[in-house]
Amino acid sequence: MVAIKAENLVKSYTTYKRGSGFKETVKSFFKREKVLINAVDGISFEIEQGTVCGILGPNGAGKSTTIKMLCGALFPTSGNIDVMGYSPARDRMKYVRKIGAVFGQRSQLIWDIPPVDSFAMNKAIYGISDEDYKKRLDEMTELFDVGEVIHKPTRVLSLGERMKCEFIMAMLHSPEIVFLDEPTIGLDVIAKNQIREVVGEMNRKGTTFILTTHDLEDVEQLADNVIIINHGKKVFDDTLTSLRNTLGSKKIVDLTLTKPYNGDEINGAKVIGRDNEFDISLEVDTEKQPVTEFLKSLTDHVSFRDISVKELPMDMIITRIYSE
Amino acid sequence: MRYIKIYLACLHTAFSRAAAYRLDFVLGNLITLLSNIIFPLATVLIYANGARFSGWTMWEVLLIQSVFSMSNALASMISGSVLWVTMDSIQAGSFETVLLKPLSPLFFIAAANFDTGSIGLFLGGLAMTVISASFTGICGTGGILLFLLMFISGAAVMCGLDLIMAAISFKWVGNSRIPEIFDSIKEFGKYPMGIFPRSVQVLSSLILPVSAVGFFPASALLGRLDIRSLISVLPCMLFLLFGVWIYNRMIKIYEGVGG
Repeated sequence: MVAIKAENLVKSYTTYKRGSGFKETVKSFFKREKVLINAVDGISFEIEQGTVCGILGPNGAGKSTTIKMLCGALFPTSGNIDVMGYSPARDRMKYVRKIGAVFGQRSQLIWDIPPVDSFAMNKAIYGISDEDYKKRLDEMTELFDVGEVIHKPTRVLSLGERMKCEFIMAMLHSPEIVFLDEPTIGLDVIAKNQIREVVGEMNRKGTTFILTTHDLEDVEQLADNVIIINHGKKVFDDTLTSLRNTLGSKKIVDLTLTKPYNGDEINGAKVIGRDNEFDISLEVDTEKQPVTEFLKSLTDHVSFRDISVKELPMDMIITRIYSE
Repeated sequence: MRYIKIYLACLHTAFSRAAAYRLDFVLGNLITLLSNIIFPLATVLIYANGARFSGWTMWEVLLIQSVFSMSNALASMISGSVLWVTMDSIQAGSFETVLLKPLSPLFFIAAANFDTGSIGLFLGGLAMTVISASFTGICGTGGILLFLLMFISGAAVMCGLDLIMAAISFKWVGNSRIPEIFDSIKEFGKYPMGIFPRSVQVLSSLILPVSAVGFFPASALLGRLDIRSLISVLPCMLFLLFGVWIYNRMIKIYEGVGG
């Protein structure tokens, strides 16, 4: 069942071009050149209920603008959004009861007081019963292991602790859809893993997640589907498996050679990385040459001490899609 | 009922925030209380030197100014934070966190950012009103009812001004000078209307009805309210309604900032 449907979504901004330097500053004071920017430029997609969808894209691609429109915080310039039968910006008051959101760079917690006080405020705002509130809060604090943390003022919490509390704040009212805008930004490995585990757990219970991130591990570990946006346009929309196969069936073979090698290819495979004369990485197109055959004949061309075969790294796939 | 519960929960949050910085809370309120007591000194000095606002005794003028302070404080507590919080969150691009709440953004900002710092100002104004009224005397139950009507109207004007200024910040981001202009206009409400030229009197009672903030309610309490002044209740309420309408309208043009 489709939970989110966006059609020809456009968000345009008018901004002003200003030159640098004193002369240009004075000039821009009297006359400014208007510039129309299409932050999101005719995007359409559908997201299934109960899935995790990753929205990827380089900085300034339009990911956050898209997610803000999906949350109902921004009105689209044109196009339609249907989330669970709601038009997010138009039906905002009713709609936002059904969703949760974590903006990695915008806190919803109140800075000077403990998170538990912010939670209590949300309890009143969402009309959560005492019983549900206690049950949910106990469950979430246990999952994140923040039983004591929630009683300290927000300003003294570490970034990781704060993000966990942001999650609790967004999940207390049991939203059906949760939007995560760079939720693991700046976090250490342990905190990232904890957040990913909780997202996975909530997703298994039926919550739909829409996630923007620059951390490809978030996507690899969580997402069922991936939408890639670049320059405001959608450039990819399919499953994670399909994304992996976008560049064809390729594998990376890392070799530690016994003799120096400076060539550009070995046994028909392109050298794509070279740490030194001995440690090189090869890209093998397995559609042309199955890995087993490649490995069998590899010893005819070079001698090596060590070998490992890996999937094409996600960052390499994404970088190539961005640059297309 | 739901909104009352939410308002009380938000109020609790606002007091918790104030309590987090106890010294700032106490000093802030003390300073506004003191400045409120010192402010009427200018009026006292004017009268002590033989000058006067024609037709008004010193205590009557002090009553106008005290009521003005009370009305100002009440509006600050209700809507004062709407202006600064809206302005800051638009500039920082964090207004979406407000829009994520299933509430009117206006109500949420006003409730969650209740200005506890104005409590001192309100109490100071109230104390000065009681003291001034004890010297001037007040005009019976009718006068008090009229006072309440005009006082609420005055607070509505102040709230309306806050909302209009906050709404402007959606379009002109970072317009911190505009509140200063409105603050200057509000000053007209602190003095007996009769001392101003006719054009200013019309402006301050019908167009930008700041006379309803201090002068009209105090006049009602003194039994000196020109019954024609009651017409200013209408522009006062329209001012507030316009403030609410324009604020809600301007939310639609919120653009956020780069992510």
